[in-house]
Amino acid sequence: MKIQSVEDLEKISHEYRQRLYHPDAIKVNVGMASCGIAAGAQAAFEKARKAFPAGSGIQICQTGCIGFCEEEPLVEVLGYGKPRVVYKQITAKKITEAIQGYSDGEFNKKWILGQMKDPRSHFEDDIENPLADVEPLAGIPFIEDIPFYSKQLKIALRNCGYIDPDCIEEYIAKRGYQAFLQALQEMDPKDIVSVVNASGLRGRGGGGFPTGIKWATCAKQDGERYIICNADEGDPGAYMDRSILEGDPHSVLEGMLIAGWAVGSRQGFIYVRNEYPLAVKRLITAIKQAEKYGLVGKKIAGSNFSFQIKISTGAGAFVCGESTALMASLEGNVGRPRAKYIHTVEKGFRDRPSNLNNVETYANVPAILLKGAKWFASMGTDHSKGTKVFSLVGKIKNTGLVEVPMGISLRDIVFDVGGGVPKKKKFKAVQTGGPSGGCIPEMFLDLPVDYQKLTEVGSIMGSGGMIVMDQDTCMVDVARYFLEFLKEESCGQCNPCREGIKQMLAILNKICAGQGKKGDIELLEELGTMIQKFSLCGLGTSAPNPVLTTILYFRDEYEAHIKDKKCSAGVCKPLFHYEIDPEACTGCQVCARRCPQEAITGKKKATHVLDQEKCIKCGICYDGCKFDAIVVR
Amino acid sequence: MITFKLNGKTVQGEEGQYILQVAEKLGVEIPTLCHHKALEPAGMCRLCTVELFDGRRTRYVTACNYPIWEGMEVTTDSEGVHQGRKLIVEMLLARCPDVPILQEMAKKYGIDRQRFEQENDTCILCGLCVRTCEKMGTHAISLTGRGVDMKVDTPFHVQTDACIACGACATVCPTGHITLEKIKSHHTRLEAKSIPSEYDMGLKGRKPVYVPYAQAVPNTPAIDRTKCVHFKTGGCKICTEFCGVDAIDHKMKDEIVELNVGSIILAPGFEAFDPSAFDSYNYTKHENVITSMEMERILSASGPTEGHLVRPSDHSEPKKVAWFQCVGSRDLNRCDNSYCSSVCCMYAIKEAVIAKEHAGDDLDCAIFYMDMRTHGKDFERFYDNAREKQGVRFLRSRVHTIDPVGESGDLSVRYITEEGELKSETFNMIVLSVGLQTSAQTAKLAERLGLELTDGNFCKTGTFDPVATSKEGIYVCGAFQGPKDIPQSVIDASAAAAAAGEILSPARNTETKTPEIIPETNVTNERPRVGVFVCRCGINIAGVVDVPSVAEYAKTLPYVEYTSDNLYSCSQDTQETMSQIIKQKNLNRVVVAACTPKTHEPLFQETLINAGLNKYLFEMANIRNQDSWVHKNNPDLATKKAKDLVRMAVSKVTLMEPLKEAELEVNQTAMVIGGGISGMAAAKSLANQGYETHIIERNAQLGGQALQLYRTASGEDIQKKLADLIKAVKKHKNIHVHLDTTIDNVEGFVGNFDTTLSTKGQQETLAHGVAVLATGASAFNPDEYRYGDDPRILTSLELDRKLIDKDPSLKKANTAVFIQCVGSREPERPYCSRVCCTHSIDNALHLKKLNPQLNVFILYRDIRTYGEREYLYKKARETGVIFIRYSRDHKPEVILKDGQILIKTKDHVLGKILEIETDLLTLATAIIPNRDEKLANFFKVPLNDDGFFVERHAKLGPSEFATDGVFLCGLAHYPKPIDESIAQGRAAASRAITLLAQKVIHTSGNVAETEQSDCSQCGVCISICPYSAPFFAEEGPFAGKAQINPVLCKGCGLCVASCRSGAIHLKGFDNNQIFEQIFALNEAV
Repeated sequence: MKIQSVEDLEKISHEYRQRLYHPDAIKVNVGMASCGIAAGAQAAFEKARKAFPAGSGIQICQTGCIGFCEEEPLVEVLGYGKPRVVYKQITAKKITEAIQGYSDGEFNKKWILGQMKDPRSHFEDDIENPLADVEPLAGIPFIEDIPFYSKQLKIALRNCGYIDPDCIEEYIAKRGYQAFLQALQEMDPKDIVSVVNASGLRGRGGGGFPTGIKWATCAKQDGERYIICNADEGDPGAYMDRSILEGDPHSVLEGMLIAGWAVGSRQGFIYVRNEYPLAVKRLITAIKQAEKYGLVGKKIAGSNFSFQIKISTGAGAFVCGESTALMASLEGNVGRPRAKYIHTVEKGFRDRPSNLNNVETYANVPAILLKGAKWFASMGTDHSKGTKVFSLVGKIKNTGLVEVPMGISLRDIVFDVGGGVPKKKKFKAVQTGGPSGGCIPEMFLDLPVDYQKLTEVGSIMGSGGMIVMDQDTCMVDVARYFLEFLKEESCGQCNPCREGIKQMLAILNKICAGQGKKGDIELLEELGTMIQKFSLCGLGTSAPNPVLTTILYFRDEYEAHIKDKKCSAGVCKPLFHYEIDPEACTGCQVCARRCPQEAITGKKKATHVLDQEKCIKCGICYDGCKFDAIVVR
Repeated sequence: MITFKLNGKTVQGEEGQYILQVAEKLGVEIPTLCHHKALEPAGMCRLCTVELFDGRRTRYVTACNYPIWEGMEVTTDSEGVHQGRKLIVEMLLARCPDVPILQEMAKKYGIDRQRFEQENDTCILCGLCVRTCEKMGTHAISLTGRGVDMKVDTPFHVQTDACIACGACATVCPTGHITLEKIKSHHTRLEAKSIPSEYDMGLKGRKPVYVPYAQAVPNTPAIDRTKCVHFKTGGCKICTEFCGVDAIDHKMKDEIVELNVGSIILAPGFEAFDPSAFDSYNYTKHENVITSMEMERILSASGPTEGHLVRPSDHSEPKKVAWFQCVGSRDLNRCDNSYCSSVCCMYAIKEAVIAKEHAGDDLDCAIFYMDMRTHGKDFERFYDNAREKQGVRFLRSRVHTIDPVGESGDLSVRYITEEGELKSETFNMIVLSVGLQTSAQTAKLAERLGLELTDGNFCKTGTFDPVATSKEGIYVCGAFQGPKDIPQSVIDASAAAAAAGEILSPARNTETKTPEIIPETNVTNERPRVGVFVCRCGINIAGVVDVPSVAEYAKTLPYVEYTSDNLYSCSQDTQETMSQIIKQKNLNRVVVAACTPKTHEPLFQETLINAGLNKYLFEMANIRNQDSWVHKNNPDLATKKAKDLVRMAVSKVTLMEPLKEAELEVNQTAMVIGGGISGMAAAKSLANQGYETHIIERNAQLGGQALQLYRTASGEDIQKKLADLIKAVKKHKNIHVHLDTTIDNVEGFVGNFDTTLSTKGQQETLAHGVAVLATGASAFNPDEYRYGDDPRILTSLELDRKLIDKDPSLKKANTAVFIQCVGSREPERPYCSRVCCTHSIDNALHLKKLNPQLNVFILYRDIRTYGEREYLYKKARETGVIFIRYSRDHKPEVILKDGQILIKTKDHVLGKILEIETDLLTLATAIIPNRDEKLANFFKVPLNDDGFFVERHAKLGPSEFATDGVFLCGLAHYPKPIDESIAQGRAAASRAITLLAQKVIHTSGNVAETEQSDCSQCGVCISICPYSAPFFAEEGPFAGKAQINPVLCKGCGLCVASCRSGAIHLKGFDNNQIFEQIFALNEAV
């Protein structure tokens, strides 16, 4: 069936909403994004399928990332008239029991993360809360009240974890493709651009360029032009785009369709890294489904608008996230950037005007059209509107994907959403913006998340990586780590980046090895400043950020490394040793038992002794001591 | 046009240009390592980063690929930019510490210590090679790998067929990381060789776009289609981007041009013998065995080593060098060239002497030879000098094998001394004196034209018509006529021109075009308005000198109204623009700061004339030869010097005045002095070309020395031919023969001579425009070998007379002996008489023919049967003529005893004294010049030490004198056989006609002039002038004062410098002008 109108959508929507919210039997949604699968969701899913085959009255479904990655695999179970419950850490071992328990009304409350108050997204205010009449489970927190979720606002991730990504109808049920069809049938392309412009949406890929302006520029060009989706998410520890592609691929397709109509393109490309096989698979399925419904292809919905979407898989070079490098790679050339003095919206892919946005940006677009620019612009700060998805990782309790409104403070994200630093360790810094972002110290924790503000303190918004560091993190080592990554990922074309990063890294390696010398910090600063100014592309110009911000905020650590030859965080092995605090040691023998070198000796209940000669500073004793008796010196 | 700010200045550029392009044009220096004009900018090295203010904020952008836009503000060398560049250079130097270009840059940026870890790379990853390869259309290499692992490589690091080994990558590599050798092993299996320069004998490479050699005519580059990458891949075309005038058209096709001509002159030259075939000489196997042609290049200042004598294998300076003569000449065993190549002995000596000059006296030079043939003018003296003063060793031995000595690169030679001793000697380098031969191509041409060739494959010509081929109207000159040296080739060339001129005489002036004459503007009393044109000469000047700043500077000089800089001032379009500007801006003085006036002054003067200016209102500043070329390592100082030179030129040119050139009519009559063979040849040629000619002969008969001669070496009957010639001359309507006539006086100058003749006591004055001196020479009257004591002891001419008269005694003789070099090659006459060896051998053969039983001995020092005369020598030996060598220290002894003539001489083969009883002793006597000093004085022409006339230039002007309007030919120049005399006679005629063909001639405006009121009448100027230009005025208000004939004056300035009362001025080089130049330099007090 080819969809011709919003009414056609409505029909599908109506049918599948039923299934989504009011299943005939018990519906089990297993979080089957890569994060869930990594935690064992696949095995759990398969086991559940076996245990509850079709006709068993229990329907086993897949969905995308439910968000709380710390507690994966997450499994949501709902039944007609029953509370909607999210089970946590449901491995294959537990799944049948959990489902069976739910079915039997024995909810295994210990395994429950929470129950849902309202499963609707912000765009479904036209229907009633399907859980309105359901009696909540006593003693189980509402998901919406869990700090991890309570401060979040899901726009880009609106459908992730709620629908089966391989089922277009479920997307349609959540008002999918409605924005596009309305735009196509009722709006002038120019007006679409105006709406996007008025919404204040800025590129979520890292640059933060106003999307509306980009579209307007592209729309002004003549001839063949292209819509490209940057799905080459390369920041270590960041997986926002992957989650969207795995959890809600149609939102991206719809965003691209709208962009295509708005700027007058007939061809879209999704440049996705091949390391995201599941995302690729789901995108392929999604495109096929959309084509089947005539939402992608020729003469869409009876209009004169035709739009094809092709997938191009990249080899996973970090630099291919840079627009010109991406387009070079898309053309089949080596993915190396060129100077962007002529913008890609004028001369991009195949030297034609090309509109490039990333996954999250496109995912935001249908939402904006559905609810209007004003609604979107009402969220966030002066310069940054809407929400931003962050991938919260590092020394934090609740690792996972979070989508928060712009303007929220870092403190809120780290401590409320993220649950703070585990093991009572002290918060030290948060690194935003991926490897070329900066490390923001505690003093700036109240900084609102905003493109400008982050830049002011030496970091960037980036694509949304957020790495939390605690007292055991050596900032010099952190800088070294990121440069190590960038050294590998620099394309190597331009001298400042290639040679500069190499030299900065060499200096940092020496500092971490205890061979730092006077003047090294200044030389790092000199190099960093030059690389920022002189590099060819964004990778180079932002590469020194981790070093420069750590020097800015943690200069004393550098100095300690260089002058005192000390690494107080206990990371740079040549610069510290472990000692046993006789006051604190209870003689429990845990450390002595665990030490692989048998470097720790001591009788039970007597203070232990550490043989420095034998110690390899593996840190097992340090991590294992419950009494903080192992200290870094 | 886009207007923006560059370093605070408002500048303009064209839409689409990048910052760097505009900056470069304006002379604003921006450093770069990855930029190449012909390649797309890549912005990789980042050195060209500049600061850009866009109205809101300052950014850093790369100048090479940032397009200019209206209103932007660019700063090219701010503190931040400078610091960044410095750091980049420092990092690159850490990566590649041994790369000179980085060391230089480091020096420039004051980097004196290294703060980074040193690596040992040589590649700076500028990507020029990759982009060039792409441009070549080959795409064989690319930047592979990522980040620190990036390198230039082929895909998967395998040798690829995509690489065509064009070497473009190596050429463009700024660091020397890619070399031609590396291309072979790394990129391709093909050998990447530089194209061997034909001119440099493969010792040096050349490009596919090339000028064959510096003096090539036309001196424009050509594209070698067989080597040009564009013709292989369709790519490249880089040359077109460099050409400032869009002159390159790759689509150009060969054109066949058909010309309708009345005559053809063949001057295809020769090819040097290729000794590769001689395995015994190891030429192909051993690098240090080279040919003399290669040696020429090595010794040449423009050669591959710039004249530094090094051997090819290891570029070390040799200590011992040997020359092997007769390689490919006089050799029937190993090659078919049995003739003598004529020139090799002399050039080998020359090379040895120059090698010693270049390498120092301790260089040991040895020449292995058979006969030393230095038969040219002043050659024997050079030989003596090389042997006695320069210490060049001459070893009479023919070496057969050259053996390499281990790995040393040295070469061992075994030879037998004159004493018969076997010796072996080691040399560092051996030069094979290769002979001359006609190329197969030339032989083919001759075949196509249907020309007869000699046994040696040279063009067959007759003695009495030495430049005529067997086909009428086709003439030949140079080595295709026979192996010969430069002077003889030049003589031939003029002779051939004369020959063609004779048959084409009726068509003279029918194809000439007269240029339009532009009226000259009167600039007298005008304030000087100087235009200064500074030339970039491509990169010749602009590569070193900051040309725009020189032009800018010139603007500040007094009287300068206009300045500009040109890419090539001498190009046609620039010339036109310049004359337009002169007219538009009303300029009345012009300075061109460019190359040398020697080559380009006439061109620019022409430009002035075209603009209606007197051509002397012009001055050149030589900022190329005297500046950019010599100070190329010092651009700042060179720019400063260029400004100095321009300032000096401007200060001089303001004092320039329009000068008049004296115009004089040319009397269209010629006078030939001497009625011998060459004189008659000259006269006949002149007359045939329509000019009235007088022959002055002091004897009662025409014919000169030829009257004594029997046969030519090629067997022609001289007397018969001579009679024909005399008859033709006498009959010619344009020739007037004055017999029994001597010259009493000569007055006048070029174009207007008045010569007083005396015929049997009667005087007559003849007016003529030119004079040809063909006064001949005489036979030496021997004072040794008992000449005169016995009628059977004759001179060569006396033997000829007997042969002419068919003297019966000749048949009866049992033994005949010839003694060579009688009077020649003696200390008092240190020259070779050139003809005697051939003459004696020829006569010996005649005698043998008359009486085959006759024993003939020829006692000689060196047999000099040069060219194809060698065949006679060979034939004589075959016929049984015995050749016995003697040395000057052990001359043969002639004893008259009991009516017998006994000759005692040492046989060089047997090493014994021989005693020969003979019936006939012929002394091959020297040819001695007439030493006519009176005549020399009349015409102001010099004589050399031997008494022969001195020509204008030994090589380039052999048939004319330095004195305008006077020419020479025949034996008066130097001993020579009949064919050469006739050739030179015609050559002299040919040269004379270059003057006669003009109705009027102009002398230079740069002549001296006397301020007669200041003249003290001392007469110094008159006595010092080599051209007799000054004279005392005989009448008028300044009678008795010195006056200068502008026609005779050469502007040498001798009189000016020697005039004690300061009365003489040299126009165009007046004292005030010269002082002004000096003052402009702040050098004078």
